[in-house]
Amino acid sequence: MRRVATWLAIAVAAAGLVAFPYWSAGWESSRFATTVLRDILVFAIFALSLDLLVGFAGMPSLGHAAFFGAGAYAAGIASQRLATSELAVTLAAAAASAALLALVIGALVVRTAGIFFLMLTLAFAQIVFAIAFQWTSVTGGSNGLAGVGRPDLFGIDLSSSERIYVLVAVAFLAIALGLRAIVHSPYGRALVGVRENERRMRALGYDTTRLRLSAFVLAGTIAGIAGALSAYSLRFVSAQDVGIGTSIRGFVMVLIGGAGTLVGPVLGAAIVTYIERVLSSATPVAETVLGLVFIGFVLLARQGLVGIGRAAWAQARR
Amino acid sequence: MTAMLEVRGLHAYYGESHVLQGVDLTIEAGHAVSLVGRNGAGKTTTLSAIAGFLRPRRGVIRIGGVDVTGVAAHRVAHAGVALVPQGRRIFSDLSVHENLVVAARSVDGGWTEEKVIGLLPALGRRLAVSGDQLSGGEQQMLAIGRALMRNPRLLLLDEPSEGLAPKLVEEVGVALAHLRAGGLTILLVEQNLALASAVGERMYVMNKGAIVFSGAAAELAAAREIETRYLGI
Repeated sequence: MRRVATWLAIAVAAAGLVAFPYWSAGWESSRFATTVLRDILVFAIFALSLDLLVGFAGMPSLGHAAFFGAGAYAAGIASQRLATSELAVTLAAAAASAALLALVIGALVVRTAGIFFLMLTLAFAQIVFAIAFQWTSVTGGSNGLAGVGRPDLFGIDLSSSERIYVLVAVAFLAIALGLRAIVHSPYGRALVGVRENERRMRALGYDTTRLRLSAFVLAGTIAGIAGALSAYSLRFVSAQDVGIGTSIRGFVMVLIGGAGTLVGPVLGAAIVTYIERVLSSATPVAETVLGLVFIGFVLLARQGLVGIGRAAWAQARR
Repeated sequence: MTAMLEVRGLHAYYGESHVLQGVDLTIEAGHAVSLVGRNGAGKTTTLSAIAGFLRPRRGVIRIGGVDVTGVAAHRVAHAGVALVPQGRRIFSDLSVHENLVVAARSVDGGWTEEKVIGLLPALGRRLAVSGDQLSGGEQQMLAIGRALMRNPRLLLLDEPSEGLAPKLVEEVGVALAHLRAGGLTILLVEQNLALASAVGERMYVMNKGAIVFSGAAAELAAAREIETRYLGI
């Protein structure tokens, strides 16, 4: 009964999230709030994908933006070059491009660990950034790719800001539920096992290289979808989407929220985006605030917001 | 009859350090063998080489007649070898149930979670508890249970009594005796001679990377010189 009530509450909250632009339409700042919430959800997807690597599989990547950017460019280029706005085509192009890139990079990096993995992912992402920045005829170079078309879904026009928000919200919910199923599956437990003790997992018969590669490709694919949603939302892709700034942004979101949880990256995305988009218009020191918040979590609360919440809950139950 | 485990002339190195210097060891299917020796004798290194974690420079390792020398650890596991490592090495972030499930390899009539709990009832009361909340004895039981979930043909155990209270060592001994009676082939590496003698039908004594004695437990007990010189008793 309690389980049914919990799922009912989640369903109501999910419906409220998807319908946000419509039920908040009377608010004076509804459009701004919708835009901020949309960006939070896009980056929540990105942070969730990074958390699959960092928090569950124990692969701290500093190059995850490569896949976000690959997805964003692929969606933008597909919509312009293929002269189609069909979501199934452009989103599939984004997911496939990011997956392929993750497969190539992953095949070269998953045998490493720790600082070597960190540095190699950063190096490969910088190569992708250089390509995005210099291949002007395809990516627009330093000018970026402007005028990315918003998609249609089987004839339904998604070009309005409300509908593109609904697309992002539905994608977020689908990916969050999908990741929930994955991390609670035997595959998800195997990833945690690899993070905790890779040698032990090999002794249990797991091909850990293949397992790590599969997680790397899955996370890259989801990041690519987040990139495509960003391109649809902003109608613009820039080389910064592939840059180290975006990778670090995702990392900060995961660490502030709490790595190895599904709620943490979403909370982290909300806090970072709020500081960048809302607080920055109120104070010129928003970036400093973000830096201080990050330092505070690293020094005082490495389990992130979720860890703080769990500790408070355990204290209250004593 | 093909031996379940056959190790012939095994030489292995850590860097330039010649750790295993021609180890010979045989276990017939369904038998239990104990490997004893002082710290640094090469017992754990022998297990590491058999389990595929250390590539030997010379020698042969056969499991059920199949050559697995230098084969990757996960392939050795698929050949039917399960290792209970020194220090348990359970997954602390996973529950007892998840620790068992992550190791599961389904075999008709083989070990299941229910059967493991039947053998190790202490785990049944702690299924939802995460690994880091378990006592040392419970962690050891879980490490054994997790290895059994692989439905191995050959079970390797590396000092399962390490750090356990005498009562718990006794419980481990009872569980291993039950497994031996059930026909599982066992290679037990132990410093605790009482446990090693209780479980192993045959004893191997190791010193400086080589086998210096092999025989029945009673023969070892009678060989006072071997016990004094190589086991410090």
